[in-house]
Amino acid sequence: MTISEPTLALIVLAPLIGSILSFVIGKKVKNLAGWIATLSAIASFGIVYNLFRKLGPKEIFEYSLFNWFSVGDLSVDFIFRFDALTAVMCLVVTGVGSLIHLYSIAYMAEDESKHRFFSYLNLFLFSMLILVLGGNLLILFIGWEGVGLCSYLLIGFWYKNLAFAAAGKKAFVVNRIGDAGFLLAIFLISQTFGTIDFVALAQKIAELQDLSLYVTLLTSVGICLFIGAAGKSAQIPLFVWLPDAMAGPTPVSALIHAATMVTAGVYMMARTNFIFDAAPLAMSVVVIVSVLTAFVAGTIAIAQNDIKKVLAYSTVSQLGFMFMAAGSGAYWVAIFHVITHAFFKACLFLGAGSVIHGCHHEQDMRHMGGLAKLMPITFVTYLLSTLAIAGIAPFSGYWSKHAILASLQSNPNIYLSGILEFSVILASITAVITAFYMTRSLAMTFFGSYRGHAHPHESPLLMTIPLIILAGLATVAGYYGGDLAHYLEHVLPANGAHFHHEELVAALKHSWTAIMGVLVALILYTKLKNIPKMIGSALSPVTKLLEHKYYLDEVYGSFIVRPLEGAAKFLWTNVDQSIVDGAVNGTAQIVDVSGEVLRSTQTGQVRTYMFLMFAGMIALIGLYLVF
Amino acid sequence: MLPLSHYIVLAAILFGVGALGVMVRRNTIVVFMCIEIMLNAVNLTFVTFSKLHGNLEGQIGVFFVMVVAAAEAAVGLAIIISVFRSILSVETTDSGELKL
Amino acid sequence: MEEIIWYIIAGLTLASALGVLIMKKPLYSAFCLVLHLFMIAALFALLDAHFLATAQIIVYAGAIMVLVVFVIMLLSLDGAEKKPSYFLGGLSLVAIFALFKMLLPALRDTFSVSGTNLQGDVKSIGLLLYTKYIYSFEVASILIMVAIVGAVILAKRTKKNVTT
Repeated sequence: MTISEPTLALIVLAPLIGSILSFVIGKKVKNLAGWIATLSAIASFGIVYNLFRKLGPKEIFEYSLFNWFSVGDLSVDFIFRFDALTAVMCLVVTGVGSLIHLYSIAYMAEDESKHRFFSYLNLFLFSMLILVLGGNLLILFIGWEGVGLCSYLLIGFWYKNLAFAAAGKKAFVVNRIGDAGFLLAIFLISQTFGTIDFVALAQKIAELQDLSLYVTLLTSVGICLFIGAAGKSAQIPLFVWLPDAMAGPTPVSALIHAATMVTAGVYMMARTNFIFDAAPLAMSVVVIVSVLTAFVAGTIAIAQNDIKKVLAYSTVSQLGFMFMAAGSGAYWVAIFHVITHAFFKACLFLGAGSVIHGCHHEQDMRHMGGLAKLMPITFVTYLLSTLAIAGIAPFSGYWSKHAILASLQSNPNIYLSGILEFSVILASITAVITAFYMTRSLAMTFFGSYRGHAHPHESPLLMTIPLIILAGLATVAGYYGGDLAHYLEHVLPANGAHFHHEELVAALKHSWTAIMGVLVALILYTKLKNIPKMIGSALSPVTKLLEHKYYLDEVYGSFIVRPLEGAAKFLWTNVDQSIVDGAVNGTAQIVDVSGEVLRSTQTGQVRTYMFLMFAGMIALIGLYLVF
Repeated sequence: MLPLSHYIVLAAILFGVGALGVMVRRNTIVVFMCIEIMLNAVNLTFVTFSKLHGNLEGQIGVFFVMVVAAAEAAVGLAIIISVFRSILSVETTDSGELKL
Repeated sequence: MEEIIWYIIAGLTLASALGVLIMKKPLYSAFCLVLHLFMIAALFALLDAHFLATAQIIVYAGAIMVLVVFVIMLLSLDGAEKKPSYFLGGLSLVAIFALFKMLLPALRDTFSVSGTNLQGDVKSIGLLLYTKYIYSFEVASILIMVAIVGAVILAKRTKKNVTT
């Protein structure tokens, strides 16, 4: 049942106004910028929460701002829709967003351009909310592009450092490649079905008489959509931008590259579930790519020494898990993992930021250690979130990861029947690896004795309060899995995936592999510190491969970037300089030469003029006689 | 009576001679005189046509041509004198200051 | 008989015109021109334009040529000029030839008639001039006055260009 609800526009309006105000006012009074931005984020959260309470089961709130354009059969409105899925996503975006805004006030306290930072941060919220509230593919795409833009702006926030600016550019360009796929999908859909509105599209596909005629089209659309998702949500082969994106300030990494923007791809897949459900081949592609991504990213994370890079690859890996669930048709499970991941990954990033801030901008874990006593609150929250991401009951990560593995195992897709067992094993191994490298980072950072040169201290209240809230959510969110499944059941097809509630003891038994991973890492990185070094040097080719992220950036550089640059250079010299410039200069030269020629008639001699007059007169007479 | 075409042909030839003279000779005064030849050729044509049609309109035309020729002679020769005073020559090729 | 006279007069006209063209000294050209003007006056008389013939002699040969001779004398032009340009002369011949080719055939065929008799005396021309063409007549007199003033100003000897 659809109800018109104009306050939907306010959700989006609050961060937009906040963005403008925090820049304008923040330029004059630096310290107000953060508070203005945080207040607008909280205001947006308030409106979302209010609407969330108002939303009844099977209800959808809708608000169309205006009819954007109507061309032929296609009519596109600028329309916002608020159903159960959107409600959940909005709550996460605005809730976690507000906490991160609060944290940033303290984190960016000494930065001289913080008005610009908070303006961009609010602009990001604005774009992300448009993405999530969008009622058709085009509005979603607007938000999609907007978050891409804000990601670029925020990654390259300290633009005076050329490497950071280059990282921002890389993120935007790689994203763009994915967007090409997304746009292709939109074109295909609009041409075949004459509409890009989600509700109308779902209806049209449901009413299709003979699905087998459309399977090829829907498979192509699905794959194109997944290419777009791969760009935004960092799957193979378009994940190379995410580790570089760690050049941005840590709150940015927490908000954009952990909790919200990177999950846009998963959300998009959940929104277009009716297309994917009709194209099993596309789903199998999603599963295969996501399993591989999760495994590869996990292996790279083992060999990283920068704490933020570990978390970045961990994000890529966890996104792979989310797509595994979505690719198996268990959309609500994917959203479940989105939510739990938002909590514990944001907490982990903010904790890393706290550590970096406390150790005076040290990011290398080899120069940390023993911070458990020096930064207790950060330590406890980091520990809780690590247990969550490792997938140990009763923390939230266990429930969502367990549900993902269960849905993968029971995937009925015929295209995957041969490799399903292998995929499940690979995913399970990845889960163990996740536990391993996260505990490694925990141990290297917080246990042992301090190996650095600064004087670490605990972070201020504005930073620790969000940490505590997020860690608490990361701990208890798992129990609400069943409620979530029930809440989303009218919006997302369950496809056979149900929430299995377990007792604590049974759950702990099921998380024994993760517990083993944690214990092994603890022992290796606290007591037997030499063994990792020995294994590392013994397997040094493998270590090198992992440290350099399988040399993927170098491969892209020589096979894609360099040829493109060469082609551009060729076109520049041969087309632009020779042909275009030649034509322009040639035209000028023609004028010049003809001017010289015509100049010879002006001799200054009276006789020449007289002769010319005479000849001209005769010619005119001749013309007159002939015509 | 002579056919009038004779007069016309004669006038045409005279006109041609005058035009040739204008373009070939370099002395400005001789050029002026050749212009007078051309004018007279035209006068002859006018009078011939007047006789052809039997009314005096053509001769009136000749009258006015003569008036203009006289005025032109006066002013033109004054200009020649004036130019001679500055460049001390009446050759047409001696003053090429307007060349581009 | 009439034909022979006509051919003599026409021949003289043409010869004197060519003389103007060919003579090296400008004074000799002036003399040839005077002869040419007299012959034209004769032709006018043959065409029953008696008043015009008289006016031609008085105005052209009497006034204008005297002025020309005066100027030639004043400027002491007796020296030969530089060689004429044969290139331009050739081009001009071509142009004139083209003109003749275009015009003469048409003219020759149309005007084989002898024409009508005419009264070209003073009274008739005067009548026409003072009734139908009175306006042009007055404008012509103004033109002459302007020419007088202009000639005087142009040829005046100022302090700057005193050469003669």
